[in-house]
Amino acid sequence: MLLLLTPFSGCEKDDICVEGDTPLMIVRFYDASDPEVFKQVDGLRIIGIGNGSPVDTFSDRTSTDSIGLPLRLDSNVSAFTFILNSADDNGMEAGNMDTLNFQYDIGPRFISRACGYIGVYQDLGSTLTQDSENWIQSIEITNPIVQSTDSVHVKIFH
Amino acid sequence: MGQDRESDTLARTDPYGLRLGVDLSRPLISVLNDRYTGIEIVGDFRIRDRLYLAAEIGNEEKGQDEILGDEEVGPFTSLYDFTTSGSYIKAGVNYNTYQNWYGMNNVIYIGGRYAFSTFSQTLNSYSYYNSNRYWDPDSFVVGSEASQEFEGLNASWIELVVGMNAELFGNFYMGLSTRLGYRITNKDADTFPNLWIPGFNKVTDGSKFGVSFNYTLSYFLPIYKKPKAQATPSDPEP
Repeated sequence: MLLLLTPFSGCEKDDICVEGDTPLMIVRFYDASDPEVFKQVDGLRIIGIGNGSPVDTFSDRTSTDSIGLPLRLDSNVSAFTFILNSADDNGMEAGNMDTLNFQYDIGPRFISRACGYIGVYQDLGSTLTQDSENWIQSIEITNPIVQSTDSVHVKIFH
Repeated sequence: MGQDRESDTLARTDPYGLRLGVDLSRPLISVLNDRYTGIEIVGDFRIRDRLYLAAEIGNEEKGQDEILGDEEVGPFTSLYDFTTSGSYIKAGVNYNTYQNWYGMNNVIYIGGRYAFSTFSQTLNSYSYYNSNRYWDPDSFVVGSEASQEFEGLNASWIELVVGMNAELFGNFYMGLSTRLGYRITNKDADTFPNLWIPGFNKVTDGSKFGVSFNYTLSYFLPIYKKPKAQATPSDPEP
């Protein structure tokens, strides 16, 4: 009887967040001359402007046609330098650097007790800074709401 | 003495009346936890030999935050901080399973309640959960530190109660009960779920169950007497 009356605690679900996460923005690279076909970017390195380190969500300086990019939650703009054929040349960057800005609104979404809120990005837009030799030809926002990593948000043609 | 037993038995009566009390655990927790205040009034009324109408009303306010990480081991951060405030009423019956000796009126009971709570939740602050640490290596970005109140929330549930009331002295009773609640209805805000409900306690993800308890001091007010129900072998056990 007394055992029954003892308030039982400790039979709670572990407070570990597994139900969700602030999503990465999914970017896929396409062939500018054949827009239906994926085209890998060789030696791709992406550096967040204001951070300085290579983005850590994919292997730095590899060839890939699909990446996930972390967007800033403390700002409505995330700026990146996309570098093609990235390599060191006596401490200087030898690759072709293009600067891309992504603009968005941030909204909170409650996921679960253990996770709390994640950020959801809405009204996604992009701006390519024009320079003398852009390797990126054009950008298309295919899904302006970044709420999961299940779909492609941005197509980059090169 | 022996010859009088028959007439003694006939004269035996049980007191019937109202037992009113207060939960001691909620004021105690209010002292120990500076983000909690609570009070609960309890009462029961004997209607049959073993059956009591029983009810509780209460008011609770509790502030809490969800922490990520281990305070002792590594970096930890508050994911969100909220305060729940509201009132509840529980009403039902207790069935006494305890066979008292003559003159004693202790109760060890199982009971059931229907309970209803109306409350509000205030989201005091939140941060964005983000496992990617590229832009913010040390902490989560704060989403808002402006209080946001969600009003007009309510929930109802049924409760299985196991408890006891033991007489201390002169119609004062010490009581104890634990309760397993099962939520029936739950009206929450679209953007922030009910994570804690006054009277019901913590709401667990993916579960309708809640656990609560009380620890009461009551006074029994006798109103009338009824002949004591005889427990003879011929009586069918209920």
